[in-house]
Amino acid sequence: MNQPLIDLQHISKHYDNTMVLDDLSLTVKENSFVTLLGPSGCGKTTTLRIIGGFETPDTGKVIFNGTDITSLPPNKRSLNTVFQKYALFTHMTIAENIAFGLKIKNKPKAYIDDKIKYALKLVNLDGYEHRSVESLSGGQQQRIAIARAIVNEPRLLLLDEPLGALDLKLRQDMQYELIRLKNELGITFIYVTHDQEEALTMSDTIVVMNQGYIQQMGSPESIYNEPENAFVADFIGDSNIVPGIMLRDELVEIFGAKFTCVDKGFGTNRPVDVVIRPEDIDLVEPGQGILGGTVTHLIFKGVHYEMEVTTPDGYEWLVHSTDLFPVGKKVDIRVDPFDIQIMNKPASEDEEAIGVNE
Amino acid sequence: MMKQTQKSLKQFVSNFYLVLILIFLYAPIMTMMVLSFNTSKSRTQWGGFTLNWYRQMLSDPNIVSALYNTLLIAFISAFAACIIGTAAAIAIESMKPVSRTVILGITNIPMLNADIVTGISLMLAFIAFGISLGFKTILISHITFNIPYVILSVMPKLKQTSKSTYEAALDLGASPVYAFFKVVFPDIMPGVLSGFLLAFTMSLDDFIITHFTRGAGINTLSTLIYSQVRRGIQPSMYALSSVIFLAVLILLLITNYKPKERKQIPGMAPSNSASSAPSGPERNRFDQIQKGAMAAAAVAIVLSVGFITIKKYTAADSNELYVYNWGEYIDEEVVSMFEEETGIHVTYDMFETNEEMYPVIEAGAVMYDVVCPSDYMIQKMMENNLLAEINFDNIPNISQINPVYMEMSKSFDPQNRYSVPYCWGTVGILYNTKRLAELGVAAPESWNDLWDPALSGEILMQDSVRDAFMVALKGLNYSMNTTELSQLQEAKQLLIDQKPLVQAYVIDQVRDKMIGGEAAVGVIYSGEMLYIQEEAETLGLDYQLEYVIPKEGTNLWLDSWVIPSNAANKENAEKWINFLCRPEIALRNFEYITYPTPNQGAFELLEPEIQENKAVFPDIQSLENSEVYRYLGEEDDAVYNSLWKEVKSR
Repeated sequence: MNQPLIDLQHISKHYDNTMVLDDLSLTVKENSFVTLLGPSGCGKTTTLRIIGGFETPDTGKVIFNGTDITSLPPNKRSLNTVFQKYALFTHMTIAENIAFGLKIKNKPKAYIDDKIKYALKLVNLDGYEHRSVESLSGGQQQRIAIARAIVNEPRLLLLDEPLGALDLKLRQDMQYELIRLKNELGITFIYVTHDQEEALTMSDTIVVMNQGYIQQMGSPESIYNEPENAFVADFIGDSNIVPGIMLRDELVEIFGAKFTCVDKGFGTNRPVDVVIRPEDIDLVEPGQGILGGTVTHLIFKGVHYEMEVTTPDGYEWLVHSTDLFPVGKKVDIRVDPFDIQIMNKPASEDEEAIGVNE
Repeated sequence: MMKQTQKSLKQFVSNFYLVLILIFLYAPIMTMMVLSFNTSKSRTQWGGFTLNWYRQMLSDPNIVSALYNTLLIAFISAFAACIIGTAAAIAIESMKPVSRTVILGITNIPMLNADIVTGISLMLAFIAFGISLGFKTILISHITFNIPYVILSVMPKLKQTSKSTYEAALDLGASPVYAFFKVVFPDIMPGVLSGFLLAFTMSLDDFIITHFTRGAGINTLSTLIYSQVRRGIQPSMYALSSVIFLAVLILLLITNYKPKERKQIPGMAPSNSASSAPSGPERNRFDQIQKGAMAAAAVAIVLSVGFITIKKYTAADSNELYVYNWGEYIDEEVVSMFEEETGIHVTYDMFETNEEMYPVIEAGAVMYDVVCPSDYMIQKMMENNLLAEINFDNIPNISQINPVYMEMSKSFDPQNRYSVPYCWGTVGILYNTKRLAELGVAAPESWNDLWDPALSGEILMQDSVRDAFMVALKGLNYSMNTTELSQLQEAKQLLIDQKPLVQAYVIDQVRDKMIGGEAAVGVIYSGEMLYIQEEAETLGLDYQLEYVIPKEGTNLWLDSWVIPSNAANKENAEKWINFLCRPEIALRNFEYITYPTPNQGAFELLEPEIQENKAVFPDIQSLENSEVYRYLGEEDDAVYNSLWKEVKSR
């Protein structure tokens, strides 16, 4: 069960003079929900299209379940795709859309009818067989697109920003629906999105991509809590990324103040980047914290207040807190040691380019 | 209250305007349709309702075969253009933006290009590559000019079609071909269909390109109608035009029929609603229309294959004769009789003017074996070595031709070596006896009577340079072939002086205007006198129309058969000429054409009443001072034309 279903080996891809993917390698295990996450143009959709067979990589191999399928056309691959714009066949009924793949495989009529019923039930649209595509709402169309893909019983389902065109509420409902489907069907999902919340909610594994490189790969928790570089930290959630000096193990100096942390092995007196999530900063009365500053901005966000605290060196700290500190008030900043994440500064220019562009 | 009247006034004005526009646009067509039911051939007199012209149209083998050619070419060319155009559109759509714009521009040019340029270029290309002009060259030309229309109507549909539906089909296991026909094609089908109908209509409509690329014996409706202009368009052509108009109208209605688009559903992605495919019952109806069109196209293909094979078998006969004659200048029966008797297969083609015929023979685009030009044109063709000497040993019936006409021919064919007279006629004055009596003017006997101030607004002149100058020159007792500038200047001044008296300069409307009693006198070709007199009788007119050849003499014209020097079947051509010189045959042709025949044998077979009809067969003596037009050469032609321009622009 633990053998990789998809193994991308050293994939590179150009369009004209633009490098889209640069020596990308990735393995996806059977029955996982992997999300490719990144800003537009990061190469996530290209990666998906290479797996789907719609693009051919310049170099590298696509191994599916142990077989090299790099040059196999899409119609010969036993996987299916759910497209961003649904791509339903508007001149066919819902039933005809769903039956499309099965008819090509010459399945008996009774089998096809059964499958249509089952698939519509699965996406909560029973009885829609004879409706026309255009009489459905966007969310319904997307569910039909999913139904059309899964009746073919693929081992792998590729989803290319399938919820991108839906409104917020519908998108949240569909997220749960997708998780439920994945669990019921036991199919491997590779999901592409630029929405970090979607990625965090649904995935087992998140692959953060930027400019054709994989920046970090891991569980949602590890990506969120332990971003490996400034790009990931910045892209996933809000963060304060500040320069610091690792004085020694478990002690970092930020803007002249010494913070205790839990990180080790960075050596002594070494410049580093420090990531502190806004919700991890505690504001306390002056004198009770480590670094002093003044509240300069305040917005009520519903669940919490969002505040900016400016410290004497001029840095504006982003703070989320349920406690209200009015603008102009002097406060101290305090952070629990395990909420401080230390990252190496980019070692080379190349790495710099990968990292801090967004 | 005030407001209401204002509103209704506004409505009335806008409705009135609309009606005015519609009348302006459709009155001509309605006129033609009404005339197609007119018993009388006249364009100004209503002789009662009849369906005869429609019957005549359907029983005329020329019209039927032209109709068949037209539809067949329209169907096949539209169909082929659809396949080629759709494929091209798909290729263009998948190109990079820059090359796409360039290629689209290139494919659009033929559409904007003047038809005449396209037509001539195609003809030249066919000749240059040694493709003989015929059915297939028309077809190729029509496909060529139809392709851009298909591309133009398919492109927008392709743009609306999202590429991901095609990818989705592949993803679901469809092969590229299956995906195209199952997914892409239905999406672009409305575009292809409207491209088909557009191409079909364009092909149906085309005259110029067809005119240049057609070969011997092939006519479409437009070229057939054009070839009949000389003798006046027959009312059966009105009937035909009415049918074509209705057919095109119906086609356009189908093209423009588009089921109403569904309202956009809220929350649906806008990009997705771009596809305008109808749904529900509307879609079914649309599907049916599409299927109907497909079925019709299939039928057309089957028909065409059948037609082409049949054609091949009949054309396999090597005993051929290519005839090039004026429109409506022979009794169809005579052609069939000739074919039956000799076993020679005749390909019969028509032209409308000498000037149109000349370049066809000169270019050798189509090799005709026997042609029937007029006097001055025969001279021009001789001078340019385009004619072959006729072997009169093969034409014993030449003895039937009255020697007077052979003598007459000598003015352009000095040794009677190249031509055999076929029809002749004169130009004279047609006058309305009753009208002249009312005006207190005596019947005209001189060309100079056309300068009588009492006839102000009652004169119809011929609207052509040589005929107009003939009237003035003859009145001055000069030769109508003069090239003396002083004489021509004098004639020009006369024509300018006459201008205020002239009601109109027209060509074949003289006939109708005179029958309609619109003018007192008109200069007219004698050819149709028999028809005019018969028509006056049928309509029961209370005035008489008489014809006179003025005493100063007139233009005597002669149309004769000649054999082009590049004729491939010269002996067959001589058989043809000999056949037409046979008295019974010449008589048949006379009865059909009603132009005077030079055939003495035929003349003797006529009823005395017609023999003595001076309007048809004037006394040869009265023609003493008459002349035949001579070809004056390019320079003098230009002088005539520039003087005529001066007259017309005054």
